[in-house]
Amino acid sequence: MADTGFVQKEKLNDFLNELSKDAVVYAPCLEGDTVIFKAFDSGTTLCLDRPANNPPKLVVFPQSETLFSFKYKKDAEDPRKMSVELEANTDFPRAIIFGARPCDAKGFRIYDSVYIDTNTPDPYYKGRREKTMIATLCCSAPSPGCFCVAVGGGPAHREGSDVLITQLEKGYFIEPVTEKGRAILNVPRIEDGEQYAEEAHKRQLESHDLVRNPFAEDGQPKISRALFDLDEFWEHVVSKCLSCGACTYLCPTCYCFNITDEQALNNGERIRSWDGCMFSHFTLEGSGHNPRPTKFKRFKNRVGHKFLYYPEKYNGVIACCGCGRCIRHCPVSVDISEIVSYLRGPRFEFTNEPPESMGTDTNSQEQKQ
Amino acid sequence: MISQRLREAIAGVFSEVDVALAYQQGFDKLHATPCFMTMPEEINKLIWNPLCVHNLTSYLPSLKKKKVAVVVKGCDSRTIVQFMQEGLINRENVVIIGIPCNGVISVNKVLHETNHEPIEDITFGENGEITVKTLKGEKTLLLSDVCPDKCKTCQYPTPIVYDRLVGDPITSDKSPDSVYADIKEFENKTLEERLQYWEQEFDRCIRCYACRNACPMCICQDSCIAETRDPHWISQRATLSEKFMFHMIHALHLAGRCVECGECERACPMGIPVNKLKRKINLDMKELFGYEPGIDPEDKPPLYTFKVDEVTIKEHKI
Amino acid sequence: MTENKNPYLPDLATVIKVIDETPNIKSYQVILNDPEKMKMFSYEPGQVGQLSVFGVGESTFVINSPPTRMDYLQFSVMRVGEVTSVIHELHEGDQIGVRAPLGNWFPYEDMKGKKILFIGGGIGLAPLRTLILFMLDNRADYGDITILYGSRTPPDLCYKDDLKEWESRSDVSLILTVDTEYPGWDKRTGFVPTVLNEIAPSPEDTIAITCGPPIMIKFVLQNLAKLNFKDENIITTLEARMKCGIGICGRCNIGSKYICKDGPVFSLAQLKEYRAEI
Ligand SMILES: Cc1cc2nc3c(=O)[nH]c(=O)nc-3n(C[C@H](O)[C@H](O)[C@H](O)COP(=O)(O)OP(=O)(O)OC[C@H]3O[C@@H](n4cnc5c(N)ncnc54)[C@H](O)[C@@H]3O)c2cc1C
Ligand code: SF4
Ligand code: SF4
Ligand code: SF4
Ligand code: SF4
Ligand code: FES
Repeated sequence: MADTGFVQKEKLNDFLNELSKDAVVYAPCLEGDTVIFKAFDSGTTLCLDRPANNPPKLVVFPQSETLFSFKYKKDAEDPRKMSVELEANTDFPRAIIFGARPCDAKGFRIYDSVYIDTNTPDPYYKGRREKTMIATLCCSAPSPGCFCVAVGGGPAHREGSDVLITQLEKGYFIEPVTEKGRAILNVPRIEDGEQYAEEAHKRQLESHDLVRNPFAEDGQPKISRALFDLDEFWEHVVSKCLSCGACTYLCPTCYCFNITDEQALNNGERIRSWDGCMFSHFTLEGSGHNPRPTKFKRFKNRVGHKFLYYPEKYNGVIACCGCGRCIRHCPVSVDISEIVSYLRGPRFEFTNEPPESMGTDTNSQEQKQ
Repeated sequence: MISQRLREAIAGVFSEVDVALAYQQGFDKLHATPCFMTMPEEINKLIWNPLCVHNLTSYLPSLKKKKVAVVVKGCDSRTIVQFMQEGLINRENVVIIGIPCNGVISVNKVLHETNHEPIEDITFGENGEITVKTLKGEKTLLLSDVCPDKCKTCQYPTPIVYDRLVGDPITSDKSPDSVYADIKEFENKTLEERLQYWEQEFDRCIRCYACRNACPMCICQDSCIAETRDPHWISQRATLSEKFMFHMIHALHLAGRCVECGECERACPMGIPVNKLKRKINLDMKELFGYEPGIDPEDKPPLYTFKVDEVTIKEHKI
Repeated sequence: MTENKNPYLPDLATVIKVIDETPNIKSYQVILNDPEKMKMFSYEPGQVGQLSVFGVGESTFVINSPPTRMDYLQFSVMRVGEVTSVIHELHEGDQIGVRAPLGNWFPYEDMKGKKILFIGGGIGLAPLRTLILFMLDNRADYGDITILYGSRTPPDLCYKDDLKEWESRSDVSLILTVDTEYPGWDKRTGFVPTVLNEIAPSPEDTIAITCGPPIMIKFVLQNLAKLNFKDENIITTLEARMKCGIGICGRCNIGSKYICKDGPVFSLAQLKEYRAEI
């Protein structure tokens, strides 16, 4: 068997149809002017020109999913008593993510440590993850906001991918990265890729230098704990944040969720759905106490989690893959890379002195603060 | 230059306020971003051009206890009027720096015109021409082609309320009938077509609530029924019906309150035309109650008041 | 919990007894429906469980019966919101879900041979109760045991039977207090941190373990410091909004530590290291 493959440009749709035969293929598709990952079929328009608005995380971590269903039943012996039955399904269909970007694929590695490499692995994530093959398209040029090279990635980075795809003039060069990915070479319509290998590897290197690195000096994000712990810093840099969920829901590495019971009459489901640390209800306790009552504290947690806490827990790995989505799609253009770059030294040039506190936003009308 | 005059205007009121809200350059050439200025030196960062799309008045209710200077366009000023009607701000705590506006850009439309190539540079000419530079070359666009729809039919280019006006007042040359022309056209579609349209659009919704949080008139925020358990009207499922329900409630809570700034739609990362619903309801409110939100500070939103006789509503004969 | 178990799937259990503790706190004794599981069930003092009322949700409560008394698992529930309100409507024989044990536990091995000072307020006695009963069941392993416990009013004191028993024991010294004067109350009055100052326990060879409302904990910690207790010898249990209980859903963190998994039991020394805001 050949080590690499190649798919002619005009045969790409046919190739995806072949792939769809024994797995659900999720690919970036055009809807209006928005590119979203969705199940590919004859009615969808593929768009590989730019990173999708949303990352493909939804394939393995759906926006909402059932943890189990429950059913109340009258007890046969004593009709005044109710018994309850639970049913969970952790068996999932095969899936292929086609056209993830290297940052998207790396995002799954950030998830893996939390969801799989623990003594209580998450059977839903793990089940889907094992059934999913990730075929990643190298980026030929960065999009606005991208900074993957500054956080240990790059436009041809392989981590998290099963297959790496490089777009060339005539078509797509296909390189398996993992054993799981090798299966792609058996799909009909793929030819031997060897004659394209050299060109593809040249392409992969070229795009690396086009990506910006927002972190001055050594190009690494560094966080001064002293500045990080200064409330005034956060109040100064995130006053404009609206405390919505766009940045976390579009982030390929944000993995937080909510669990709720949704009930009909005598049956229902316990579901989990995306949640994020930018929402004030995320940490709101029954007593009304909230350890992160202001958007400043919440934003601090978001940056802290990605650039301090997660690395502390998992061998220095940064939980941001630099995809730039939170920057591109934030309604008020909050730029996490800029904020992290300020955090380098213990002092921040407040131009003058720290602004006085903007107050708290514990009551609901002041939440946007 | 308006930018310069704006800086002067803000410098002039700076000592009276705790914070001034204006615009500065964002993360790339195509984006401006709101800027909260608390120190006079920061005034130099301030910009004014068609990138200044955000409705800065959205921040005012959360800054109620502060003295705030805020830069407003004509459309933005309607929010302030609406806040006044609903008692959401203390007018005396706000210094409104009004700017007569010839229109702003829609980032999405510019990107559409340039095939989503990253913008290397963008410059704005005197007469609404825009030159954008990408790695693929230069292109000239017209502001009238790449402005948000609201600018195309703008009736209030000059702020309705202001304390200082920077620039000369502009009167609208757009026909008042044009404002809801798109809505009326949309209504010509069959019910099935409209349902299909909305189903396809709302299916993309990720329930990030950027639309809600960007909306200056969405004041419930943390108590939004989209998330509350009591009442538990909407589940957290990411199904079409739940998304639909959220948007219906979002729209209905803005009946006769939506100032049509378009922030909800602009904020949506999934490109969902969420303002359309609210504008449809506003059109109904206009036809039923003869009311237009955000025009007269002394007015009250129709659903906040009760009249024994509504001239435009025919009572059923009992 | 074994590798392959679905950590989100509760075990079904039956309420065998409901005890009214205070006007807004009830205790529930439950047994797992599967006798085999109940027999195999093991946990450590201080570990918590998630109780489920299917259709409403799940909430976290400490298992406040000690592992030395395994006839049932006891949870005490203060009514504050959605889940706790429906739990309060449960009766004997009703079905609930249990995910347990979760979290870490009191370092009782390190406490052997030491004097122990418990400082509790309100429902905060629940986790302390587990450890107190555990220590009383292994009495010889520990030195003097002092329990300072307070609540708003006398009816708000939890575990009144236990309190009576502890009061009568010669190997436990129990100090009770309520916030203000109350008809028929002849013991101390005053807030727990204040009473702590009054009794001024010696830090010598002593471990202080505290749990209660955040504001009480805050002042107790300050006062313990004034009494020269070392940070390593002050143990507390923390609370945060919880969902998964297994360190995944992301909401209960202080820095890189998750209260549900790395906690809820921490020493003050640890909390300072994690820069917790207390
Ligand atoms: C480690 C630990 C041990 C606890 N032990 C006890 C105990 O022994 N007895 C007792 O009465 N209470 C205890 N609590 C607090 C108890 O979990 C909350 O009071 C309870 O979850 C509130 O649920 P609710 O649905 O009634 O409130 P709501 O306000 O309706 O909350 C809705 C949901 O939010 C979450 N939530 C809200 N507040 C809290 C909170 N403080 N902690 C965790 N999750 C929360 C829960 O998932 C809850 O179902 C403990 C909390 C923790 C973290
Ligand atoms: S940073 Fe932007 S996207 Fe994130 S919560 Fe704030 S406003 Fe929303
Ligand atoms: S934090 Fe922003 S840039 Fe980093 S991975 Fe998430 S969305 Fe991408
Ligand atoms: S940044 Fe916030 S939402 Fe994202 S994974 Fe971390 S804690 Fe969760
Ligand atoms: S901003 Fe868009 S994606 Fe987010 S909740 Fe609103 S409509 Fe849905
Ligand atoms: S409760 Fe989910 S991480 Fe702690």
